[in-house]
Amino acid sequence: MRRVIYFLLRALRNMRQSPFLCSAAISTVTVALVILAFFALIVINVQQLTRHWSRDVQVVAYFDHPPASPVLDRQLSRIRQYPEVESVAYISPRQAFKRFQVRLGDDADLLQGMANDFLPAALEVRLTEKYRNSAGVQRVVERLRRNKSFADLRYGQEWLERFEAFLGLLRTAGLVLGGFLLFAALFIVSNTIKLTLYARREELEVMALVGGTPAFIKAPFLLEGALQGALGGLFALLTSFLFFSMVLKEDLGRLLLASGLGKISFLPPHWQILIVLLGCLLGLFGSLFSLRKFVRI
Amino acid sequence: MIQVYNLNKSYQKDSSAVRDLTLKVAKGEFVYITGPSGAGKSTLLKLLFAAEKPSRGQILINGQNLTRMNGKKIALMRRRLGVVFQDFKLINSRSVFENVAFPLEIQGKKRYEVSNKVYQVLKLVGLEHKIKRYPLELSGGEQQRIAIARALVIDPLVLIADEPTGNLDPDNTCEVMELFKGANARGTTVLLATHDRDIIRRFPRRVLTLDQGRLVRDLTP
Repeated sequence: MRRVIYFLLRALRNMRQSPFLCSAAISTVTVALVILAFFALIVINVQQLTRHWSRDVQVVAYFDHPPASPVLDRQLSRIRQYPEVESVAYISPRQAFKRFQVRLGDDADLLQGMANDFLPAALEVRLTEKYRNSAGVQRVVERLRRNKSFADLRYGQEWLERFEAFLGLLRTAGLVLGGFLLFAALFIVSNTIKLTLYARREELEVMALVGGTPAFIKAPFLLEGALQGALGGLFALLTSFLFFSMVLKEDLGRLLLASGLGKISFLPPHWQILIVLLGCLLGLFGSLFSLRKFVRI
Repeated sequence: MIQVYNLNKSYQKDSSAVRDLTLKVAKGEFVYITGPSGAGKSTLLKLLFAAEKPSRGQILINGQNLTRMNGKKIALMRRRLGVVFQDFKLINSRSVFENVAFPLEIQGKKRYEVSNKVYQVLKLVGLEHKIKRYPLELSGGEQQRIAIARALVIDPLVLIADEPTGNLDPDNTCEVMELFKGANARGTTVLLATHDRDIIRRFPRRVLTLDQGRLVRDLTP
């Protein structure tokens, strides 16, 4: 414990003794993580948007003739038991007519003179989140096809495929860009820390000469790197939050709200912890990579 | 105390800084290592405190084979060696006290123990009144005395000094040599590399002369 306190005190003293280099390292981590946080912020909100869109994934099964009440109840309870199904709603011809009227808006008078039951009765099958994809829809469609009561099934296959391709692109872009940003951040942070170690090379040399073990020499510098990284992570969170509140919330909000998303949110708590942790790891590994060059016994 | 057998050190394929060197230094001896520039004096000392690895040969200090030690064991061995350089190698961002206390801190000594020992050794080198100063505020001679204090603070088995008076004027050279003599009188083995014949004349001790990496003379007065 005495050693840990000693290392911590030395790390803090090192930071106090070289305020410029310390600020440079913290700023580098901050900038790198602000970029990463923004990227995460956009990806998370777009993912939220796609989740919102995916709620529209449903299968509509049209009846030949409106079913009698016991038949309908039987159909409903059977479909509700499918594991892919979240809810099933019966739309009578009259309900369908009313919806159509609403959808036509000012042109609703086109329907004048038509019987209010000319549209087919249908079942609207909504899927659980896990199955709101092409494969899930196919499974439900196959089950419904075996049911001879339905004249037609509609499920927007093309839209679904495009939607899935978009999600795939988003995921890949997220992974590639996120990974690239992280690597770039590690590279920059490691080089900045290398500069701070270069400035202290005499100290490292003396430590080795007077009998410091490799672990003893490295520990305070690793701790210093981790502390600087964590501070950088905290500053990055603060900066991102300020920028998010003042600028991004409005701009990104306008874009995403127009696409139907209810609200724009900042990084969730586990992401905030992740950013600080990432800063800590960046500092730690940045120091570790640099120390390998400077500490040789 | 120190045994060196068939020691070789090559930096390049066809030139050796140290060649087939074999020597013994007894406990409590004071030995000069001398020779012209490029004779291998500094290389030999670097090999003795394991700053360099030999290409061939064995080095035993206090019965322990330095050439077979890993990083941690080398570090532990260095805690029993005091090393002094021509360019002092002090940490300029640390005070005199912190510089001298450094080896004791590394050994995990308690704070009061560190303070007492540092004060004692600074008194020995006559710089106890400069305890709060920083190296760059001191003269060259004072800086070298601080470096010697740092080497002596651990009560080393062996004191290794590489041209410790190389940057000093005659008065400071005398003061520094008195400190080495004092340490030797208290039982520390001293190995001092110098090309200054005047020092050897004024403080006569055993002299090992190197030339082109070989031991060419071993004289005891």
